[in-house]
Amino acid sequence: MKRIFVLTSLCLFVIIMSIFLSPFSIKAQGPIKIGIVDTYSGPPTTYTYDVRDAFKLAIDEINAKGGVFGRKIEFTTRDDKFKVDICLSMAKELIMMEKVDILMGTINSAATLAVSEYCKAEKIPFIVTFSKSDKITGEKGHRYVFSVSENTAMIGKAAASGLAKRPYIKYWIAGDDYEYGHALADGVWGNLKKLKPEVQLMGQSWWKVGEPELTPYLTAISSAKPDVVIFATGGASMVNAMKAAKATGFAEKIPMFIHTATEHSTLAPLGLEAPEKVIGTSNYHFYYPDTPKNKAFVKAFKDAYGREPKVGALYGYLAAQFITKALIKAGKMDREKFIDALEGMKVDSPVGEIEMRAYDHQAMLPMFMGVTKKVAGYPFLIATDIVTIPASEVMPSIEEIKKARRQ
Amino acid sequence: MNFGIAEIICQFLVGISRSMILFIVCAGLSFILGVLRVPNIAHGSLYMIGAFATFSITKIVGGTYGFWVALALAPFLVVLVSLVTERLLFCHLYQREHLMLLLFTFSVSLILGDLVKIVWGAEYRSVPPPELLKGSISILGASFPKYNLFLIIIGPLVGIALWLFTTKTKIGKISRAAAVDREMVGVLGINVSWVFAFAFLIGCYLAGVGGALVAPTVSITLGMDHTLIIEAFLIVTIGGLGNMWGALVGSLIFGVTHSFGVLFWPQFAIVFPYMAVVIVLLLRPKGLLKSVW
Amino acid sequence: MAKKESHLKGLWILGIIFILLILVPPFAPRFFTYILSLIFVTSLVAMSLNMVVGFGGMFQFHHGVFYGVGAYATALMLTKTSLPTWIGFIAGPIVATLTGLIIGGFCVRLTRLYFAMLQISLGSLLWAIVYRWYSFTGGDDGIHGIRMPSLLQSLNNSYYFILIILTLSLFLMHKILKSPFGKTLQAIRDNPQRCEAVGINVRRYQLLGIVIATFFAGVAGVLFVILERSVFADLLFWVLSLEIFIMCLLGGWFTFFGPVLGTAIIISLRTFVGKYTEYWTLILGIILILVIFFLPEGVMGYIQELVKPGMKDTGQEGKRIDASSRIGL
Repeated sequence: MKRIFVLTSLCLFVIIMSIFLSPFSIKAQGPIKIGIVDTYSGPPTTYTYDVRDAFKLAIDEINAKGGVFGRKIEFTTRDDKFKVDICLSMAKELIMMEKVDILMGTINSAATLAVSEYCKAEKIPFIVTFSKSDKITGEKGHRYVFSVSENTAMIGKAAASGLAKRPYIKYWIAGDDYEYGHALADGVWGNLKKLKPEVQLMGQSWWKVGEPELTPYLTAISSAKPDVVIFATGGASMVNAMKAAKATGFAEKIPMFIHTATEHSTLAPLGLEAPEKVIGTSNYHFYYPDTPKNKAFVKAFKDAYGREPKVGALYGYLAAQFITKALIKAGKMDREKFIDALEGMKVDSPVGEIEMRAYDHQAMLPMFMGVTKKVAGYPFLIATDIVTIPASEVMPSIEEIKKARRQ
Repeated sequence: MNFGIAEIICQFLVGISRSMILFIVCAGLSFILGVLRVPNIAHGSLYMIGAFATFSITKIVGGTYGFWVALALAPFLVVLVSLVTERLLFCHLYQREHLMLLLFTFSVSLILGDLVKIVWGAEYRSVPPPELLKGSISILGASFPKYNLFLIIIGPLVGIALWLFTTKTKIGKISRAAAVDREMVGVLGINVSWVFAFAFLIGCYLAGVGGALVAPTVSITLGMDHTLIIEAFLIVTIGGLGNMWGALVGSLIFGVTHSFGVLFWPQFAIVFPYMAVVIVLLLRPKGLLKSVW
Repeated sequence: MAKKESHLKGLWILGIIFILLILVPPFAPRFFTYILSLIFVTSLVAMSLNMVVGFGGMFQFHHGVFYGVGAYATALMLTKTSLPTWIGFIAGPIVATLTGLIIGGFCVRLTRLYFAMLQISLGSLLWAIVYRWYSFTGGDDGIHGIRMPSLLQSLNNSYYFILIILTLSLFLMHKILKSPFGKTLQAIRDNPQRCEAVGINVRRYQLLGIVIATFFAGVAGVLFVILERSVFADLLFWVLSLEIFIMCLLGGWFTFFGPVLGTAIIISLRTFVGKYTEYWTLILGIILILVIFFLPEGVMGYIQELVKPGMKDTGQEGKRIDASSRIGL
């Protein structure tokens, strides 16, 4: 027995020593450190790689010009594998060991909320890059969290505004059976009812997240014959929904609305097999608006990475711009000054000027509603008849935020 | 909600078509479980490789026959991966404790999962159904995808082929014997290790076929392995360990309860298969059909 | 006499380790305090699992459910009611134990793989309830920012509290396993038929073993809430249960401290390797395979073999490791 314990304690000692001696970062006048914790495994990767890559592109450009007040910006990433406990661990590692000045991340809403609480306690600025829960800057928002991504409240308002202008009365709601799906559906429906009280909800269908076989649901819905179906799906089921709709011919018979159906992440893998006439909303298209700024952004991204940027790239780019400009305005790497500077900050982007609303720390993003269509010259479908819904119509009012936060 | 008889029939058929893929994959899992007594956690990863390989082959070959070529070749790629794993590593472990074998297949699934990410990257992939099977047919007014019809036909074909194989061919019979009493088989002078290897490869081939067949119906993503493996184990358990027909029964229960759950109680459809498993195990603790051991 | 001597020496060594651990917060970087706390909490779950798997021989494939239920019970008590904190802390293990009693009650009617599958199904039902019941459990968003009493507010204080509870729990577990009850449980693991034959109510012993294990899992759940101030549906998902199971196997499920070592290895690996590559699961897979080939008794088992060949904590010498054994799965 004794020798086992000698051995075990020796091992423990070795481990502890080696940890002590491992290289750590020294916090002097070196580079400014940013940590990104996100999901780089599994289905979400198609989105998160774009966030990271666009961020890197923007930061490289800024560093080439000398960085901010003479200091370069460095960032390091961690993979949370879409698990909340690992995300928390990695976030803490970035903050306690890597000693990052600013934290960014993640696509998992539950993890974002958990890390947000931690950053509030540790007083570290946390920039949310892809999570869509409206609680992040709404009910659970606070001084230390900012979001450059749209959330379910904004999607709801934008979608409702677009749908109300169309002649549909009888609605069906279907989607992924989790918080994002329900919040999205509630957001759209709540706002739609306000804009157009005569709309009727005929029924709802909810399936498990990532459900591969959606045909039975589509069959059930088509038998009810609604005017239009709102699909509240996350990334995983999105492609499945589109495929099933194409295979059953559903999209031809009944109009569908899906948030991000028109987005390139969804349409790219389907190639020319995606269904047409699907109505969708998205924060970004690499072909719209056809401005010089957008064109330049797309070209730079494509040159660097060999693919067209998707919506994640916009968020990554915005994060880089906001961080850089706020730092320059603050004059030095001081977290409190950084936050003060970031509130109300306006930056230029491929979709126009974007403001970081001071009250709730939510970036005011416009939404684009379009319809999928096959267009010559592209090996995938794109969105046509694009209507821009400006940020002012999309953002929840400050009163609504106050109410949610009970302020 | 008002559905007519057409919708109910369609729903039932969709449930069956989904069951067919589950059946093919689970038959493989059950076979491995029966002969080697090993729960192959890597089965899901092999299924995922089958799907990704189908995507690549379809893309490379292209044209109207791309998918069919992929359907023929992709499972063999999976077999190749399994062969390498089996000969290099697995065969040395046959004498070990079951929990260790479980740990081994788990480790393999971790490695294969990351290998898929390295080889195919992180993007969603999609394979369109082959030209022949695009679109849908009308059943009493409700539309039913042609590809699902294809699945309903091919499922039983694979089942029959498997049954013929295990009852009529020599190697099939030896495998079944080894499942029941491996000591005896060894005593008869047959190299048990080869039998195991063979059974393992057959099981993995079926996983590959399942992956190839599912490719046109879903988005092919990393993480497919996790969603499949838990269902596969539940099905194999309630069907009866090592019993191919049990895999069929289990798959049908899963697919059909799910489809009808969707129609009548969509809120809780996800729970139905688990409830079915709980009920089966409480009423018939050894599974529905005879277990091989 | 020799045994008593080595016992005493063993206690001295444990004492030294304990003192080393006490010295961590003031001297080591903050992150190590955090990671060690996480290792303590997770190893408590792994140890509780091993009571059932290594010592009880049952295939508890969804132990995470009890851990998650304990954590949620505490979280809900702390956020939804204004009852004193210590009631919330006690609620965790109590609810976990009750859940263990109910689920265990169903499962002990079966054996081996069937036991495992039934538990996974029942556990998954529970997970689905937590996941979907947004208004009560926070659904898949989880519950975050849970307030702690000022005594446990700082990381260092949490660390010490967790360390103390871990030590007490390990001590209790050790006592239970060395007791007649523990010995009977192991006998049942080795040969249930023989035990039935001598009149032991196998099912009752197994159920009691599960209930004790789930109690400790609930304790670990409470400690998790103290450390992370968050709960989420992932805690009840089968993937976490499988991870904990692997930690036991890696460390060596025939030994007492094996799971602790297994947990420490896996958590350290994923944290420190995760810094350098996103493919750390690949590396973990490779390491596990190396362990399977070269350290068949798990890491702890190997260390023990080195030190004292042929003797295992659980008296496993007689167990036949026979691939053709009819007992099988």
